[in-house]
Amino acid sequence: MSLYGSAVKRPIMTTLCFVAVVVLGLFSLKTLPIDLYPDIETNTLMVMTTYQGASAQDIEQNVTRPLENVLNAVSDLKHISSASRENISVITLEFEYGEDIDVLTNDVRDKLDMISSALPDDAETPIIFKFSTDMIPIIMLSVQAGESTPGLYKILDDAVANPLARISGVGSVSISGAPKREIHIYVDPARLEAYNLSVEQIATIVGAENRNIPGGVFDVGSDTYSLRVQGEFEASEQMADIVVGSYQGRNIFLRDVARIDDSLEERAQTTYNNGERGAMIIIQKQSGANSVEISDKVLKMLPSLQKRLPSDVKLGVIVDTSDNIRNTIDSLVETVMYALLFVVIVVFFFLGRWRATLIITLTIPISLIASFIYLALTGNSLNIVSLSALSISIGMVVDDAIVVLENVTTHIERGSDPKQAAVHGTNEVAISVVASTLTLIAVFFPLTMVTGMTGVLFRQLGWMVTIMMIISTVCALSLTPMLCSLLLRRVTDHGKLYNLLFTPINIALDAVDNAYARLLRLVTSHKTITILLCLGAFVGSIFLMKHVGTEFFPTADDARLSVNLELPIGTRVEIADEVTNRLVNEWREKYPEIQVINYTTGTASSDNTFASLSDNGPHIVSMNIRLTDPGDRDRGITEIARLMRKDLDRYPEYKKAQVNVGGSMGGMGGQASVDFEIYGYDFAETDSVAASLRQMLMSLEGTADVTISRADYQPEYRVDFDREKLAIYGLNLSTAANALRNRINGQTASRFREDGEEYDIKVMYAPESRTAISDIENILIHNAAGQAVRVRDVGKVVEHFTPPTIERKDRERIITVKTVVQGVPMSQIVEQSQARIDKMDIPQGISIQLAGQYEDQQESFSDLLMLAVLILILVYIVMAAQFESYTYPAIIMTSVLFAFSGVFIMLFISGHTLNVMSMIGAIMLIGIVVKNGIVLIDYITLNRERGLSVKKAVILGGKSRLRPVVMTSLTTILGMVPMACGTGQGAEMWRPMGTAVIGGLTFSTILTLLFVPALYCIFAHNGMRNSRRKFHKQLRKQS
Amino acid sequence: MKAVFIAYDQAHHHKIIDTLDRLSCRGFTSWEQVSGRGSNTGEPHYGTHAWPSLASAILAMVPDDRVSSLLARLKAIDDESPRLGLRAFVWNIECAI
Repeated sequence: MSLYGSAVKRPIMTTLCFVAVVVLGLFSLKTLPIDLYPDIETNTLMVMTTYQGASAQDIEQNVTRPLENVLNAVSDLKHISSASRENISVITLEFEYGEDIDVLTNDVRDKLDMISSALPDDAETPIIFKFSTDMIPIIMLSVQAGESTPGLYKILDDAVANPLARISGVGSVSISGAPKREIHIYVDPARLEAYNLSVEQIATIVGAENRNIPGGVFDVGSDTYSLRVQGEFEASEQMADIVVGSYQGRNIFLRDVARIDDSLEERAQTTYNNGERGAMIIIQKQSGANSVEISDKVLKMLPSLQKRLPSDVKLGVIVDTSDNIRNTIDSLVETVMYALLFVVIVVFFFLGRWRATLIITLTIPISLIASFIYLALTGNSLNIVSLSALSISIGMVVDDAIVVLENVTTHIERGSDPKQAAVHGTNEVAISVVASTLTLIAVFFPLTMVTGMTGVLFRQLGWMVTIMMIISTVCALSLTPMLCSLLLRRVTDHGKLYNLLFTPINIALDAVDNAYARLLRLVTSHKTITILLCLGAFVGSIFLMKHVGTEFFPTADDARLSVNLELPIGTRVEIADEVTNRLVNEWREKYPEIQVINYTTGTASSDNTFASLSDNGPHIVSMNIRLTDPGDRDRGITEIARLMRKDLDRYPEYKKAQVNVGGSMGGMGGQASVDFEIYGYDFAETDSVAASLRQMLMSLEGTADVTISRADYQPEYRVDFDREKLAIYGLNLSTAANALRNRINGQTASRFREDGEEYDIKVMYAPESRTAISDIENILIHNAAGQAVRVRDVGKVVEHFTPPTIERKDRERIITVKTVVQGVPMSQIVEQSQARIDKMDIPQGISIQLAGQYEDQQESFSDLLMLAVLILILVYIVMAAQFESYTYPAIIMTSVLFAFSGVFIMLFISGHTLNVMSMIGAIMLIGIVVKNGIVLIDYITLNRERGLSVKKAVILGGKSRLRPVVMTSLTTILGMVPMACGTGQGAEMWRPMGTAVIGGLTFSTILTLLFVPALYCIFAHNGMRNSRRKFHKQLRKQS
Repeated sequence: MKAVFIAYDQAHHHKIIDTLDRLSCRGFTSWEQVSGRGSNTGEPHYGTHAWPSLASAILAMVPDDRVSSLLARLKAIDDESPRLGLRAFVWNIECAI
């Protein structure tokens, strides 16, 4: 017995089967985590090798190059790039997306084992470091403090950071902007010299005094006691009374030669929140953990943490990445709901009966909910991709049910019993329903096979839609006939409300049918003109293609800006603070959209994982800005970024300024950028090419934030010791160098313990004694015999410039010039700059290549084009199999041409660009638009088989199929409208896709309704003429 | 005894079996799926792409006195939904075992 036969016979079983699916689906939905994108496994590995004391060039020559040569042989490697700077070599391996990173890590480790013996002896073993999106902080908290500022680090560490770190899923919690307590022993060099003491002596004595030593155990009578000396300082002031030496028979106390300064680290990052100084807490998640879940837990914990803090310390949220995720998902859910509503309205409008509408709409939740089971089973999440798949499918899952219901209704109207009608009616259309689903699956299933970055994104889309299509077909072949048999009745007379509401609608629809029949009569009598007109429209739209720009991904407005500012190297942190404060005040006045503005300057301490990984230094300012929600403001994020860039032009203090839109999500969502890679060995030559390239790019319209990756030569003072002189005084270079370090940077003498915490005790020159070069030159170095010699007697203090980091990519030296694309499509910048680069005078041996997002875009586009070809072939095969003909599918496939014209026209009108999202829309159209053609041609051939003439078959077929065609197209188009018009957060991402589908489907439906019948007439006439000729030939032969 | 050949649209099947039962006509032979078309009116029932509907047929052996009431009832069914199609033909049974 067939599926629909048993479904109609056993309504309870059928109902409960679907109830079970829905229950399972809803259960899965409850367990699904929320995320922005499907899990994108990291494709980058870093290999870090330290080689203390080596210059950038040495590192490049002795560490980076040998490593690169070996690592280049790892399979699936896309690019290998490296940065060689003083003391360290960092090699970044970028692999193809979708490969198993654990296997690759092992490969890399094997290769490193091979080479480790060839590395210089002093080089440390290379460390493999996995970088992933997990490293991006998920939440940044601001801390504002008043009188508690000096002890802020300890307060935050105890009361905030530690409890937060205990939340499962939280990777690390770092505090920046709150300097740690440090006890300084600031010595006066003149007094030291007078008493013949050295920094090292003082450090040793302080270390020796600050100790607890156990003295063993001894017995007194019948008891055993332990003996110990408790010598550790209880208060920092106690140190002042240590005897550090004697002079002329009198004790010299530490207070005689130094002052004790119990305060904070000298050099630390400072953080300002909304113009007020405070601290920042950065929370990173463990890899694989769900950010929304963690941020929920963190936010829930904040009020209780706040209670444990002193009253002047206030916690706030600067950046909460999950906010964006939640808002984006919310706005997509809204989109899905609107799509559902529109589809229901269309179905009701055309069918006019609530029972029929109910039967059809039931298919939507069942198919959609069933797809959640797939998501839960495969460990996926609710994200942009899976939710847009739902939104796309809503209009399509009803199509099968509509076809079945329509045929069952016809049978009932003819007088069949609903039960019989349900079985026989479904039986008649079952094959064509399966075939039309197959054409859609032919489109979406190949999406699961795309490779690269786009593949990671669209694999889920492909699976989701395929599964929903299959479920909807099963539903249409079982649940729909079953419900038809139970709910549908032969209607002889309608109620008053129906007559009032639907009489005018039916009259209007009939009028449209008749008008279309008249138009078809005209079209079939003027076939050539029709075809020429339609082709003209197609060719015309191809010219529009030139005016539609291309880019990789649309820029998403996630209400987050990050600004990186750089003053000239060596600028004091106070100056950076002062300038940035001015800027912040100006921006806060100028842009009321700014909710929180926070910036950090200064050198990061090494235990702040996040800050020490990113660029930091006294001259570097990194700023985070949170704007109000996109729906609540008039200016878009790119517009604000543009204005900010303009403002920054008025600040000559900043040498480099970058305004990044959308945080740092990389390829997706951020503002488009173009990277130009200059390959060449010679520093000076590549530098000059980079400079002229930058000049050229800045003169182009639509470029902003043009930056050169190679940093400037960094000025520094260097002490060049004369080894011969050092030897005369009985010194060696490392003793001399350490003596310098101990006086300027300080020597950690010991640790001061209080309340279970340890703080460094550092002995160093007092700040006022290290402000001039002469102070350095006057430093006394003691030799083993206790004799002292001044630095200027054994060496020279000279100014130097250290060469910048040497960057390499694919084993060649490289400089990257990067420009942000602002207000124009990326393709325009690429074309214009390419033309100018061709004219540029580039020295021999230097080449310029486009990379970054442009490379990704090119790859994705060629992947998607290949996919489109594959899909076209598959769809043709499915149709040819269904019609058992080579010509009919070819006729139907012409509607794809008009779909593409529609996409271009709509993109041109709406001002969107051709990007990955709109291309996916265009690819989906292949499956959607051929369905119209299938419905039309199927009925025309049926009419011909029933013995009608070609012309009559076309006109009657067209007239009777107009409604189903318009109805299914309208459900899809209106299902996409909420996507195309969305204004919520993240709507920029799917707007081009919705627009593309609406444009393509509308244009193609209109032209298909004219072009396909005309083309069919021509082919049918030709076919008849040929068979007639053959017949006559045969007759002649016989006679 | 008369033989009544009834050819009808599939959808009528249950109703016809029901009618035969009500008239206590026990003996019949049926073909669930047959194709054919009427002499004057009615859609062909071919089970093809152009004419997807199918017919069924019953050859019922009916006692002479019940033939007319059976035909009357069949006519009523046909009149109820003329577009489906139902025809009955009666002939004599010469002999039987």
